[in-house]
Amino acid sequence: MRWPWFSREPREQEFDEEIQAHFAMAVRDRIERGESPEAAEQAARREFGNRTRIHEITREVWRWNWLDRIWQDVRYGLRMMRRAPAFTAVAVLSLALGIGANTAIFSLINTLMLRLLPVREPEQLVELLHQFPNEPRLNADFDAYLHLRDNNQVLSGLIAASRPHSSQVSVEDSETESIDAQYISGSYFEVLGVQPAIGRLIGPADDSETADPVAVVSWSYWQSRFNLDPAIVGTQIRFRDSPVTIVGVTQPEFFGIPPPALAQIWVPLSTDVLIGGAATSHGMAMIGRLKPGVSLDQAKAELSTLYFQTFDQAKLKTDYYLSRLKFDLEPARASPTLLRDRFARPLLFVMAVVGLLLLIACTNVASMLLARGAAREREMALRVALGAGKIRLLRQMLTESLLLSTAGTLIGAGLAYFGAGALVRIIASGRMIGLPRALEIPVEPDSRVLLFTTGVALLTGVLFGLVPALRAMSAAPASSLRAAGKGVETRFGRLFGNSLVVSQVALSVLLLSAAGLFLHHLSNLRDGLGFEQNNLLLLRLDPEGSGYEAEELSNASRQLLDRLETIPGVRSAAFSGMTPISGAGWSQHVNVEGYQDKPGERRYLSLNAVSPGYFETYGTPLLAGRNFTFQDYGGPRVAVINQTMARFYFGDGNPIGKRFTIEGDEEPYDIVGVAGDAKYIDPQEPTLKTIYLPRLRGSNFTLRTDAAPAAIVGEVRRAVSDVLKGVKIDRVTTMADQVDAAMVPERLTALLSVVFGALGSLLAAIGLYGLLAYTVARRSNEIGIRMALGATRGDATRMILWDALRMVAAGLVLGIPIALWSKRFAASVMEDLPIGNPAPIALGATAMVVVALLAAYLPARRAASVDPIVALRHE
Amino acid sequence: MARNEHPRNRVDLLQGTLDMLVLQTLRWKPQHGYGIGQAIRAGSDDFFQIETGSLYPALHRLEKRGWIESQWRTSEHNQRAKYYQLTAEGQKQLTHEHSRWNEMSAAISRLMNPANNEGQTS
Repeated sequence: MRWPWFSREPREQEFDEEIQAHFAMAVRDRIERGESPEAAEQAARREFGNRTRIHEITREVWRWNWLDRIWQDVRYGLRMMRRAPAFTAVAVLSLALGIGANTAIFSLINTLMLRLLPVREPEQLVELLHQFPNEPRLNADFDAYLHLRDNNQVLSGLIAASRPHSSQVSVEDSETESIDAQYISGSYFEVLGVQPAIGRLIGPADDSETADPVAVVSWSYWQSRFNLDPAIVGTQIRFRDSPVTIVGVTQPEFFGIPPPALAQIWVPLSTDVLIGGAATSHGMAMIGRLKPGVSLDQAKAELSTLYFQTFDQAKLKTDYYLSRLKFDLEPARASPTLLRDRFARPLLFVMAVVGLLLLIACTNVASMLLARGAAREREMALRVALGAGKIRLLRQMLTESLLLSTAGTLIGAGLAYFGAGALVRIIASGRMIGLPRALEIPVEPDSRVLLFTTGVALLTGVLFGLVPALRAMSAAPASSLRAAGKGVETRFGRLFGNSLVVSQVALSVLLLSAAGLFLHHLSNLRDGLGFEQNNLLLLRLDPEGSGYEAEELSNASRQLLDRLETIPGVRSAAFSGMTPISGAGWSQHVNVEGYQDKPGERRYLSLNAVSPGYFETYGTPLLAGRNFTFQDYGGPRVAVINQTMARFYFGDGNPIGKRFTIEGDEEPYDIVGVAGDAKYIDPQEPTLKTIYLPRLRGSNFTLRTDAAPAAIVGEVRRAVSDVLKGVKIDRVTTMADQVDAAMVPERLTALLSVVFGALGSLLAAIGLYGLLAYTVARRSNEIGIRMALGATRGDATRMILWDALRMVAAGLVLGIPIALWSKRFAASVMEDLPIGNPAPIALGATAMVVVALLAAYLPARRAASVDPIVALRHE
Repeated sequence: MARNEHPRNRVDLLQGTLDMLVLQTLRWKPQHGYGIGQAIRAGSDDFFQIETGSLYPALHRLEKRGWIESQWRTSEHNQRAKYYQLTAEGQKQLTHEHSRWNEMSAAISRLMNPANNEGQTS
């Protein structure tokens, strides 16, 4: 069989010739019969009928499949696109933005929430969690691990794994480096069903204090540190100052679970016990594999019973909090539950936002197509008159819109690729609740993303193409041919075009007010921190292995504090056990003298050990009493409390001189001062009742600088190595970064909703502009007549502006109630949104009016410059 | 759609009948499209005037099926034209269709003229 498109041109020519011959013979016959040449030709032509149609039907015979027909439509569509480059560019770009945004967000959702773990039968895996009332779900208590593992009938395996934890490693005699280590139970790899790339993986026998200490490293670490040298198996390295032997390497796609834990080295839990149990204190995840046929509920019921057996049974009944503790089981087939809990809602919001954006883009292109369809009505009518089938026309129009959406998708996918990368960098700059480390998330497009994008492209193509296509199909040749170019437009066409713009305006108002809402929320969080976050440099030391005794370290810390304050550009320096918004905290049970706890009241209070310069450095005001002095350190027990605590325990009374005890220690503390409220662990939480104690314990220094903190980092490092020899610097960062890291979901939502809101209103502006420009072109006769009858240029301008404003007004009438309703909906899903504030919606509405007037400006000018003579002559 | 100036054109040939007529026309000698059209018209005493829009698709369809083949030649009036001729395959098809046609028309006659049987079928 010949491929039709290779032989297309010769066959067409041949057929032309054949028809030509037929025609010539027919004329000749008629002349021979005695007709005049002219009459003969006319008669033959009439007899012949519609030549194009014959051509088309005959060609159809040779079509060997539908692909061929589509190819022809596509070529025609491409020709139409080339013929209107501005139209094509705007349409494709609108769609690219819409589709790109959707693809980017979806690939993020895919990565964070849908992608499966690279392990055997991941759908059997479950994560063990528990939850106190009004708190996020947390990992279930690791103390229950052995009891659960050894007594359950529902799991084929239960493993425990620490959060990856930065650890010092040295290979041979090279410099030590920090890599992320995950401490795992011996059955970890076995239960997950992961295979080694080379060597062997850790097995149950390795997880014993008598076994030789071993480790497994990741492929990426093997690659970067050992150049994939197979001799790595059997190599001895120093892991946190004790020797371990590397026995194997994991496959490249395995990074540890629960993701996004990116571990570079795995060691058995027994190793952790040997080095003092540091890792388990950073939180342990427990993951089980359900036995085949066991349902989630069944497993949950049994494990829950077992779990609560490990608690103090008396306390379980009487303790307010413990009695309300819930055990939970979550499928771990996709991403880590805790990460999902944190990002799911913001991401779904953003997904809704980009969905709206795409809708705006679609409406935009639809209204442009419709306006153009009116311009092409003559063409369509002609084609119908020439015998083009209606289905054929519909197919052609849909092909054209699908071409637009395909082009938009290709560009959009490119945008999404970079966009998703940038978004991931933002997410990666964040930390999770209770996890003071950054995350890393590999985002790669997979088949699911591809499927999604293709689906979106098809849907949009049909969505914005269908109505214009149906309109084209119903084109009545006679009336259209007569009317086209004379500015007659059907009532339906005008109404539909207007309603598209109106809905664009409404959607944009919705997007803009969402943007305002999320921005406002973000700035509320920043303003509510209770300290001045800019120009603060944070320095964390790692005294482990330095050989300093606690007492010594405390004295040296004070020396370092003095030294740091002498650095030029440093206004003040402070020392603290914790830095705010680091994701970690210190809390204890506290009894305030003279205060009777109500049953079920939480007496856990947050504490921090600080130096006297702390409040000054952070810019947190002292509201009453006095600050610490260095005489307080090691002297009589005193404390400063925050306002929330003062108000809670003492109401309007004076807290100075009142006393409290910390549980487990009967000697009381005197309250000597009250400080302003400040956020402690997370910016999103309500202010915690906080106690500041004068102690030099911990290893965090904070510097208040005059200018950008980065400039003095070198000086700071030198000061540390001078004063505290052998103590490593664990981390140098700024408070601004630390705060940013804690507000990733909010920043992400705000950033994206602002960007997409702006894009949405830009698209609406383009839509409005297009419609008005088209209106002016169409009504130039009318405007000309009006002007000839005495209307001024101002009248013409006003007419067009009035048109624009009417549409915007209609859009606002539609959009504002939807925005109000969505706000309430958003607040029901996301806590603490500042929905009481009407400013965002008002701002969005104002912005739309401004945008509309801008979009209307050019068409209005053009209307004003209509020359009545020219317009009328045109008639 | 197209103005209806040749009422007899509108006689809708039974599906496949035109194909059979074309094959029948080409039984003895090769012919070009116009010639085929004229032959059918003359052979049916002007009853069938085959539209060009039906004829050419039919010709191309038959060619695609391999029942006829084509060749460019010069006509008696020195006009280059595409001549179609029957293939062996086409010959077989014609025989088959012819016998089927006979059976069918006999059956239809019987149905349409139930009173006067046998003798009347000419």
